[in-house]
Amino acid sequence: MPGYELVFIVQPEMEEEPLTKLVEKITETIGDLEGQVHQVEPWGKRRLAYSIKKHREGLYFLMQIELPSSAVRSLERSLKLMEDVIRHLIVRTDETVAK
Amino acid sequence: MATDTQEQQQTAGPEPAARPRRGGQGQRRRRFVRRRTRKRCAFCEDKALRIDYKKVDLLQNYLTERGKILPRRATGACARHQRELALAIKRARHLALLPFVTEHIRTS
Repeated sequence: MPGYELVFIVQPEMEEEPLTKLVEKITETIGDLEGQVHQVEPWGKRRLAYSIKKHREGLYFLMQIELPSSAVRSLERSLKLMEDVIRHLIVRTDETVAK
Repeated sequence: MATDTQEQQQTAGPEPAARPRRGGQGQRRRRFVRRRTRKRCAFCEDKALRIDYKKVDLLQNYLTERGKILPRRATGACARHQRELALAIKRARHLALLPFVTEHIRTS
């Protein structure tokens, strides 16, 4: 299973509790798609270089995940459906493919 | 856009042979001097230096004041690394880590 890097930005007004729930939910979604989350790295609140959906700040999260390549699109779709996730990016990490 | 051309002049790498300036005192022509040795690509020199869309501080060096990607003649990067740089900057922009256009210019 290829490795991916997932970065997503959560809207800044999110409270602690629903935030952890949201991260869990994403982890679950990845699990449902037969993927694995290896690492979650919260970057905390950061100023956005430009406003997204009227927000000037965002809560950044970086995840190292493994996912069957066919499941990437469905993960992307479910991320788009989460209203609290204002932006996301999925990038393949293994160097062998990149070069 | 008048301001745009201004910026390009600032960021253009080697100074082009100066045109005679109007309204200046005296005609000081600056001669175009070619660099003896071409600037080597920083990323080829230092293999450990990886281009990554998460390294905002690194990528910032390759943007103009207005947030445009610097051309190769200014960055000195080789074709491959310039390509990687551009891709990384675009990814960083998508994540709002870097601006598409700098703030003070957009609002004015």
